Amino acid sequence: MSFHFIKEQDFAAFVADLIRAKTVIGPVAKTSRQQEKFVFAKLSGPEELRLDYDVTILPPKKEFFPPKQHLLLFDGARVSGCVEPVEKVLFGVHFYDVKALDMTDTLFREKNEDRNYLAHREAATIVISSIQKVSPRAFWASIGSEVKPRGHDAWLTKVAGGHVYEAVTAKGEALLKHGRFAQASQPQIAGARQANEEISKQCPEQLKGTSASNAKKVRAAFGVEELWTKFAQDCFSCGSCNTVCPTCYCFDVQDWWHIDQDSGGRTRTWDSCLTEDFAKISLGAGAQENFREERAERFRHRFMRKAAYLNEKLGGPACVGCGRCSAACTADIADPATVINSIPEA
Amino acid sequence: MPTTTCTCGGKAVAKDVKDNIFLPKEAKIIRVEKTTEMERIFTLRLADESQMKFEPGQILEVGLMGYGEIPLGLASSPTRTNTFDIVVRSVGRVSQALNRLAQGDSLLVRGPLGKGFPLENLRGHDLLIIAGGIGLCPTRSLIQYTLDRRKEFQRFILFYGARDPQQQLFLADLSDWRKSKDVEYHETVDRGDPSWKGNVGVITTLFSKTKIDPGTRVVICGPPIMFKFVIRELEKLGVARQNIYLDLERRMKCGVGKCGHCQINDKYVCTDGPVFPFSEIEKLEEAI
Ligand SMILES: Cc1cc2nc3c(=O)[nH]c(=O)nc-3n(C[C@H](O)[C@H](O)[C@H](O)COP(=O)(O)OP(=O)(O)OC[C@H]3O[C@@H](n4cnc5c(N)ncnc54)[C@H](O)[C@@H]3O)c2cc1C
Ligand code: SF4
Ligand code: SF4
Ligand code: FES
Repeated sequence: MSFHFIKEQDFAAFVADLIRAKTVIGPVAKTSRQQEKFVFAKLSGPEELRLDYDVTILPPKKEFFPPKQHLLLFDGARVSGCVEPVEKVLFGVHFYDVKALDMTDTLFREKNEDRNYLAHREAATIVISSIQKVSPRAFWASIGSEVKPRGHDAWLTKVAGGHVYEAVTAKGEALLKHGRFAQASQPQIAGARQANEEISKQCPEQLKGTSASNAKKVRAAFGVEELWTKFAQDCFSCGSCNTVCPTCYCFDVQDWWHIDQDSGGRTRTWDSCLTEDFAKISLGAGAQENFREERAERFRHRFMRKAAYLNEKLGGPACVGCGRCSAACTADIADPATVINSIPEA
Repeated sequence: MPTTTCTCGGKAVAKDVKDNIFLPKEAKIIRVEKTTEMERIFTLRLADESQMKFEPGQILEVGLMGYGEIPLGLASSPTRTNTFDIVVRSVGRVSQALNRLAQGDSLLVRGPLGKGFPLENLRGHDLLIIAGGIGLCPTRSLIQYTLDRRKEFQRFILFYGARDPQQQLFLADLSDWRKSKDVEYHETVDRGDPSWKGNVGVITTLFSKTKIDPGTRVVICGPPIMFKFVIRELEKLGVARQNIYLDLERRMKCGVGKCGHCQINDKYVCTDGPVFPFSEIEKLEEAI
């Protein structure tokens, strides 16, 4: 671990050199007309990089687990995998998204290693950037604070006159050669720490209780049907809360053909446990069974996964408080802080 | 190879193939039997002639490129030869495509997947298998296994229920079991027909045909609705919950604990199951 400093006036040149050398993905304005909505996209110049973003529409998991990802390709009887990792630098990821990536790393690694995800993940260098602006629905400061961000290679923090760059791994260290870095001074390092602490006081929402107490009360509320029926009353089963979530990783698998009718592939796409058919099976002779037929059951399943089911594996809740789901939900019922806070103590 | 480029930037390459949990193996169809209007029994052998090593109760993802993959129970015992059986009921896209295949064709398999029947807890005890409808397929693996190693078990009782006589599977096996001294076989159909001489009624009516000792190990596999009624009968007989095993069915996509479709609370049917002791899932409200 080493701390470095780059002056504000040298920063653009650093990013520009990085872009010349590597594929760099970073937060940018969604379109030229929508300057206050952000997405992660491939950078073509340093002026596009918007480290002052609050939150991106989709989380950075799409770089390793894209909305559509081929698992197999076939040509006649020949079938092959298509894991071909692409080296990338993810530049300017907020720490809550890194926590979420670390969770998906764990989940794709456990039991059966999913190389289709992991190979891409391992080929990436991840640079955290300090949060400069807090999104209106964020509560990352009050959820899962016992789970520290892991798996990033460097942490960049904006301070007076420039940026402190903490190289955490050799991969993070390797990016230093692209810019005019000097060793960071003690006051600069302290300034960076303070900046990261200060901003976390600005989260507009607060989740009450500890991860353990919340897991306990959410689980205990499983059988309280009225509660879930009430929560899910206005749910459209649209699945947007899943789609935008950095820790959701459910998928569907579908085959397709090229027009030659001889070749094609098997592809996975993001799926949502809130949608109606997610747990539906065919039993033959037209009979069907849906194991989570009610909206309330599906809504509850999402909260069990976010607050309770995965905690043991992940060391904390499978929600990092980014607030994307609250922003994406038309009915505005998806906010984990609001829902969990309103569940009575067990 | 096709020139398709992945959205992930990759092309069809051999890299990482050995670790690719989605890459299937080819299996050759040695024999197909049309057993009912809806079902075919396939006897398969891996194309590389290697042996499929599995335990009764484990599953395979079986598929065809361009159509998809579906979970199927292994329907024969690993104690029998280097072939294995599956049964496919025509239900939708993939199962219908599979059921159009003929002897000599190939299909693709991934597995064995999941946890099968806990043989170590079954051996040395009375064993009751209760199979409803297509639930006979995965249990046939255990039935054959038990018959092949009959001395390792005490009493062996089998209940089989089908909707009507035309829906009965494995007719040759059924006629063997009716005659066999190694298994106490009881069968029923929900609806009889003029030629049917046997029991008519739901599967729980078979409990009155024999005496079940409370120490019996019980395996249940069938449509979701069957479980509750059968368990109620077993509780009346005093069978302990940890000795009742359920073979559950859920929507499956990946079969390897990733896609989330088969989840029951915090359990995954594809990796933690499909066989679960009742004591482990009785508190999971979504289980049965
Ligand atoms: C553990 C287990 C063992 C099974 N054993 C057998 C067997 O031995 N023989 C047999 O014929 N069938 C068995 N089934 C059911 C079989 O998997 C479904 O009939 C099959 O998936 C239907 O797929 P489809 O594409 O033809 O139908 P569609 O209705 O087009 O289904 C679309 C997709 O949904 C999923 N799906 C739909 N129904 C089911 C279902 N019942 N179970 C799981 N996923 C489903 C599949 O991914 C399927 O491809 C088993 C299912 C499970 C979970
Ligand atoms: S909670 Fe909101 S975002 Fe999620 S499925 Fe329901 S309506 Fe859609
Ligand atoms: S549940 Fe909502 S707030 Fe939590 S990580 Fe997912 S999108 Fe973010
Ligand atoms: S089938 Fe995908 S998690 Fe079980």
